[in-house]
Amino acid sequence: MEKISKEKIRKGLEVLDEGMDGKLFTHLNSCVHCGLCAESCIYFLAFHESKFIPAAKVDLISSVYRKYMTLTGKIIPGLVGARKLDKKTIGEMTDLFFGACTMCGRCVPHCSIGVDISYLVRKGREMLAKMGYVPEGLQNTINTALNSGNNMGITEKDFTDTLSWLEDDLRFEVNDDTACIPLNVKDRNILYTLNPREPKFFPLSISAMAKIFHTAGESWTLSTRMYDATNYAYYSSNHPEAGIITQRLFDEIQNLGAKTCVLAECGHGSRAFRWEGPNYIKQEYPFEVITSVELLANYLREGKIKVDREKIGDCVTLHDPCNLARTGGVWKEQRYILSRCVNNFVEMSPKGTDNLCCGGGGGQLAMSEYNERRIKIGALKAEQIRKTGAKIVVTPCHNCVDQLTQLNITYKLGVQIKTVAEIVADSIVAPEQKVISKNEVEV
Amino acid sequence: MAVFELFSKMNPYMWFATEALAICFAGCCYHFFKLLDYGKPKDLSKPIGQINPAVKYAFTRAMDPRKKESAFLHLPTYIAGIIYHLGTFLSFALFVMIWLNFAPSGWLRYAISSFLLVSALNGTGILIKRIINKNLRSLSNPDDYLSNFLVTTFHFVGAFTLINSRLFPVYFVTVGILLLYLPVGKLKHTIYFFAARYQLGVFYGRRGVWPPKKEEF
Repeated sequence: MEKISKEKIRKGLEVLDEGMDGKLFTHLNSCVHCGLCAESCIYFLAFHESKFIPAAKVDLISSVYRKYMTLTGKIIPGLVGARKLDKKTIGEMTDLFFGACTMCGRCVPHCSIGVDISYLVRKGREMLAKMGYVPEGLQNTINTALNSGNNMGITEKDFTDTLSWLEDDLRFEVNDDTACIPLNVKDRNILYTLNPREPKFFPLSISAMAKIFHTAGESWTLSTRMYDATNYAYYSSNHPEAGIITQRLFDEIQNLGAKTCVLAECGHGSRAFRWEGPNYIKQEYPFEVITSVELLANYLREGKIKVDREKIGDCVTLHDPCNLARTGGVWKEQRYILSRCVNNFVEMSPKGTDNLCCGGGGGQLAMSEYNERRIKIGALKAEQIRKTGAKIVVTPCHNCVDQLTQLNITYKLGVQIKTVAEIVADSIVAPEQKVISKNEVEV
Repeated sequence: MAVFELFSKMNPYMWFATEALAICFAGCCYHFFKLLDYGKPKDLSKPIGQINPAVKYAFTRAMDPRKKESAFLHLPTYIAGIIYHLGTFLSFALFVMIWLNFAPSGWLRYAISSFLLVSALNGTGILIKRIINKNLRSLSNPDDYLSNFLVTTFHFVGAFTLINSRLFPVYFVTVGILLLYLPVGKLKHTIYFFAARYQLGVFYGRRGVWPPKKEEF
């Protein structure tokens, strides 16, 4: 690491100074170093190293705060463990905030005080982002999204070509020549977003949603200009970059006049756009934002789609993405869907808002320098899955799908990994008659 | 008039403790008002849940030891911590009583003294754990040891003073040092604990995570 300039230090400290509010001030001052959070962290459970205890991560940013922002830290730094923001501290911050925390937030409700540890890690990442210490792989992914409009760098032509053959498949599958995947159609009820991994690697999940929309007779569209639900700048905590990505999707929803934005099965994407997005762009949304999981649950509740749970005979388990369940409040919906779509559903333990992170969150999949750690912490999830005896693991998040796919191979789990939409599409029963054209919807 | 009489009867040790109490109060007010001054962060996202029930949950059922790994995976430490904190509250109540010249007598004196002795031993246990446990030691700075030492001493001295009134000078000096240190070190979590629980309630409440929904399938 090169010599740290005063300007960089100043930029990093700006987060704790200009960015200070009641929430940050509270959490920076609350940790009592009891260390009882240790067993709630997958990194500590996997490695048993004290540096991975969540309180140690909290202390890293709090100690810098104490050094520069408190009287005791300025006068007697040794007493309160105040630390300078120097090369060594920045090195540790980079390693622990980016490489040893998925920001899953599991430690937060278990904290004896109630310190929002993942929030402080995000603040630590924000400091590093301001100083220019975002790991290269993660920053490259963000740059790709900023430069091309999606994090995989898919060209508009490639995207429309993929959708074109998916549309042919859809017509064949539903045996309806009018079935379609509408593109850039204005004033639809729904603008559906995707994780760019879908057109690139998992087109079947797009087919699944298209089939469900067709069956439900939904008025929907995709955009070829901005369809990316992800926002990797959320992971780097670079707010200006996160704002650019959020603004693009916001503008496209406004441009197409969609009433509701439905976010694809993407944990961090749903958090970044639904919960953080309005704050990135400093604007409330004049449209509704829901996740596809909530939409699918509504379709089933309202009887817009019919399913046959006998179609899926294998034992199914569910992995809850942290950003969707623990910090997004969406954990009941996927269970309702599975209760309708599969016969043999078994829960992991722990589950729901207390579920263990798969290890792929926090941008870990984009940071190859931490691959070994990522796979090792995933052993806990692999064991959870193995204990259920399930043959299918469902998860409403493409990052989780990626991580679980790698865990499946590494730990020889012998399971199939599916999204919720794929499970619904597999169990769906064809309607008696539904006609959909490119521009009109009739039920 | 009664207050004037109280002050006129105070010895120098009591004066020290009283002045420390005033400084401690001012320090705590400083933290509290600074917290208020920073204000709540503005959140423009559309909430899907309610904040008030979540804040209530944060201070009640979310603290249930059966729900927190920090409690049920560390039951001896958790119980020791609870007794230790109860001892601290009792010690402060005792200080107020003594200051107001209502020192407990009879069986109550022995009961309080016994409890404080137990809580002090728990505090000592927690301090020893911090010293010998590798993980805990790595997390600790001098403030952690000093804070524990001051509070544990507060319990011990309180317990012994109730039995032997000759220790009153030591008691007031101990209380005074503790009160002077409280707003400076980690003991200020006395204030921030409540703010942290409130912030958690707001965060999880807006997002419909707390209070937890019932499963119904």
